[in-house]
Amino acid sequence: MSAVSMEALTKVYATGAKALDALDLQVAHGEFAVLVGPSGCGKTTALRMVAGLEDITSGVLRLEDRVVNGVSPRQRDVAMIFQNYALYPHLTVARNIGFSLENKKIPRAERDERVRAAASVLGLADLLGRKPGQLSGGQRQRVAMGRAIVREPAVFLMDEPLSNLDAKLRVQMRGEILRVHRRVGATTLYVTHDQTEAMTMGDRVAVLRSGRLEQYGTPRELYDRPASLFVASFIGSPAMNLYEAALEAAADQCVVVLGSQRLTLAPAGAERGGLGAYRGRKVIVGIRPEHLAAPGIEGAKPGIEGAAPGIEAAAGASLTVDVRLVEPLGSAQLVHFTIDAPEVREDPAEDTEQLAEGEIMDTPVANGIAVTGPRTPARAGSRITFGVDPGQLHFFDPDTREAIDTGR
Amino acid sequence: MTASTLASPGDTAAGPPESRRQRRKRERLQEQAAAIPVHLYGLRRGTVTLITVACVLFAIFTLVPVAWIIINSTKSQTGIFSSFAFWFSRPFDFFHNFALLFQNVDGNGTYFQWFGNTVLYAALGGGGATALAGFAGYGFARFRFRGSKAYFYVIVGALLVPVAAITLPLYLVYAKAHLINSIWGMILPSLVSPVGVYLMRTYVDLSVPRELIDAARIDGAGEARIFFRVALPLMVPGLMTVLLLSVVAVWNNYFLPLIIFTKNSLYPLTVGIGVWSQVAERSGGNSDLYPLVVMGGLVTIVPMIALFLVLQRYWRGGMLLGSIAN
Amino acid sequence: MSDTALKAPRNAPPRTAAARRTRRSAWSRRRDRRGLAFVAPFGIAFTLFTIVPLLYAIYESLFTSRIIGGTVFSGFGNYHQVLTSGAFWGGFVRVIVFGAIQIPIMLAIAFFFACVFDLGVAKASRLFRTIFFIPFAVPIVVAALMWGFLLEPSYGPITHLANAFGFGGTNFLSSGLILPSIILIAIWEWTGYNSIILYTALKSVPRDVVEAAILDDTPLWKIILKIKLPMVRPAIVMLIFLNSIGALQLFVEPEILSYQGGSITNTWTPIVDVYNTSIANAQYNLGAAMAVVLGLVIIVVSVASMIFRRQRGELS
Repeated sequence: MSAVSMEALTKVYATGAKALDALDLQVAHGEFAVLVGPSGCGKTTALRMVAGLEDITSGVLRLEDRVVNGVSPRQRDVAMIFQNYALYPHLTVARNIGFSLENKKIPRAERDERVRAAASVLGLADLLGRKPGQLSGGQRQRVAMGRAIVREPAVFLMDEPLSNLDAKLRVQMRGEILRVHRRVGATTLYVTHDQTEAMTMGDRVAVLRSGRLEQYGTPRELYDRPASLFVASFIGSPAMNLYEAALEAAADQCVVVLGSQRLTLAPAGAERGGLGAYRGRKVIVGIRPEHLAAPGIEGAKPGIEGAAPGIEAAAGASLTVDVRLVEPLGSAQLVHFTIDAPEVREDPAEDTEQLAEGEIMDTPVANGIAVTGPRTPARAGSRITFGVDPGQLHFFDPDTREAIDTGR
Repeated sequence: MTASTLASPGDTAAGPPESRRQRRKRERLQEQAAAIPVHLYGLRRGTVTLITVACVLFAIFTLVPVAWIIINSTKSQTGIFSSFAFWFSRPFDFFHNFALLFQNVDGNGTYFQWFGNTVLYAALGGGGATALAGFAGYGFARFRFRGSKAYFYVIVGALLVPVAAITLPLYLVYAKAHLINSIWGMILPSLVSPVGVYLMRTYVDLSVPRELIDAARIDGAGEARIFFRVALPLMVPGLMTVLLLSVVAVWNNYFLPLIIFTKNSLYPLTVGIGVWSQVAERSGGNSDLYPLVVMGGLVTIVPMIALFLVLQRYWRGGMLLGSIAN
Repeated sequence: MSDTALKAPRNAPPRTAAARRTRRSAWSRRRDRRGLAFVAPFGIAFTLFTIVPLLYAIYESLFTSRIIGGTVFSGFGNYHQVLTSGAFWGGFVRVIVFGAIQIPIMLAIAFFFACVFDLGVAKASRLFRTIFFIPFAVPIVVAALMWGFLLEPSYGPITHLANAFGFGGTNFLSSGLILPSIILIAIWEWTGYNSIILYTALKSVPRDVVEAAILDDTPLWKIILKIKLPMVRPAIVMLIFLNSIGALQLFVEPEILSYQGGSITNTWTPIVDVYNTSIANAQYNLGAAMAVVLGLVIIVVSVASMIFRRQRGELS
């Protein structure tokens, strides 16, 4: 039994626009589920459908195994935290938090008690007499949370609750929300466009794109085994390097031809999973910037720790690239480079202009980024060779743009 | 406020990119999307019916005088007094009555002369007031000169002064300046619209970004050029609202023309019809002016309603609210 | 060369700063004058047609013209006459009663329909909006004439209707019913306009606040009266203020209806009084004093209400 269950949930607006296309999603009791995706992907629509603020065009929505498609939001026992907090500007913090209890005609004494309890959880005890206009952004955010938790609802819905805060406060409130979540233990559905927020907060994360579910899994799964090119490029920062490559049909080995360079995969691994079927065909290969290691300086010697059991690394798998720019971050540095392989763009922002240029670029030179240790001797204009762990490579079908199973 | 439910002359010309019907449909859908679905409020069907009934009743109340004036514009004087007020009667005198509007009946004045006067006063007075309000609103919103705040408060304060306290002395001054029975005596005071300045200042504040003006200055544009090329296009919706309000104000003005015009050839409609009605009532039914008063009333309101339906799209009721933020 | 370029400003900072300051202020002063140029056309018209007449009215109010002896300075004589005139204050009380009844009724109806439009409850709400707005396009003179016909005691259809319902001999224009009749006319004229303004105000209430209230299981009447009404309070206060100023200057409706019957006296409202005193009786000086008194009352009341509201923290 799951707390929230969406089955083929679809939303078509009166204008004909399809906001959500057959979304299937189950959220377990007490789980913190995050819906993430670029703007217009339907994540907020899905949340508002759960709240009951948006009609369901087709599909079934269950809360606690009860079909609630036609149930008024008043009877759904859900609380929502809005992006702009939606506080009642003319009421004090105490009355904002206690407003729903007033509506339920809960006696004054109990109401005050519950409001005070919620306020103390959120550190609002001293602000109960103020009005929202006299509060800071972070405090308003807390009031909005207080208004939700005081009701003790079955499900919390949060619609980009941190997007109006500055970067520092956002990090702080992230922890705060998780702390309250653990304390209250209620099922939470959290919508954001920020993949960092999704990865750090969610027990499970659903990645949406154009109204469709791309992948639903733990942050670890999304990072390690992205199901599609879109998830691969959306999750992780900096984004995964993606190149068009060919899989050479050699007799006993599996070789990835990336421009003028060759990466050899161990034969056993290549046969496992679905990769074998792509021999002699084009694939899209993905390498996370943090998995490119400058040889001799640090970590990830090919084929040792971290490598998946399926694909044994062939010794000396490496990529030579031209360094274009080095950005020191203090604890690490970003090495921007070019490589002579066709680049693949999977722009999470779905910038139409870039898409129009053709998703697989014709230019044989592609850009890339590597995250290296702070003291890796890379200079703009120089050439550097990165060690590559073939076990950390991701493969995608260039037509379906879905991940190719490598048996991991 | 964009429905054009009555036929209006300006609306028949549909733009090629989007037909009128398409636009209406799009606007209806947008409005629907912007509103929260009614069922979420938990209203019962009976309540909705009651509300609709209330709307219908108030609509009837609103339309009763309009219906009356339309029906009675077709009647003779006897018909107006003796037949059922809300249905037609013989003889059908609509065109006869309409023709009378072109004549100088009993030497009390010609309706269409007044109509022309009103259009002239409203166009020059309302248009001029809008232009002055546009300049001044921009000046107050985007420049800080010595005393600018004080000037502005004086103008806002003028909203509190009764019209009569300004109009009456105008009459005395006109008597000395020979402006009695001059159209300028009507038009020039109409140029002053403190409300217009107030609204335009608010509108400019909200819709013409300071950065845009600064950017134009850095590009070397002169202040006049900045106003006409950069600010003015952004001010158009606000100016349309002020124009609408100013034209209505002049069109409705009764007190000023009543005291400064003694020649009936200069009257605007309001004063002309008022005088007709006065003469008709004083004569106790011996004058044939009643059908003229009714027909004149109808011809006065029809263009205004048509103008409103056409200009509704530009009407920014919100402007009146932006001003309360201060 | 680079050395001197670096050194020069460091050696002479005060002079450079001073020079820059004068240059900037000269530039901004020039801009100031340009700002004045934008304001000037209105300023000139405003001075000539508002300030000067107003001052002239105050000046004239201090004189008295006599049939014999011409115009003489009489100090506050006219004011004494106005302030002790029972008829003037009678008119004053009448417009206050008028406003006190008409404005609340009108705003209540207007708010009701504004809510209806805002909720989108009624079918064809755009059609209703357009219909309700029609009276605003009707000149008050014409509105008063139409209602004058409808309410006329002998042939007016509404009088007939009242007779049919058993109120025989009802005279809507008699001294007892003329005030309610004018209130009715004013409600007809202004409800739609006020309703549209309130509708615009209601539309600016953020959608998510209302949705939050719905999720809080707030009943509709409470959403309207406890959430939306307080949030559009500034708009309502402004409308009360503007309508009050309008009510105190009530003139056209009584003037037009006075042609039909005798129940409207020459002093029925302050402005009717001003008009009859100064134009019909040619006592300009006395009329000017009345207008000034009316203006002063309006200003005192508005300033007092503003101070009151500021003290209560409603104004910044």
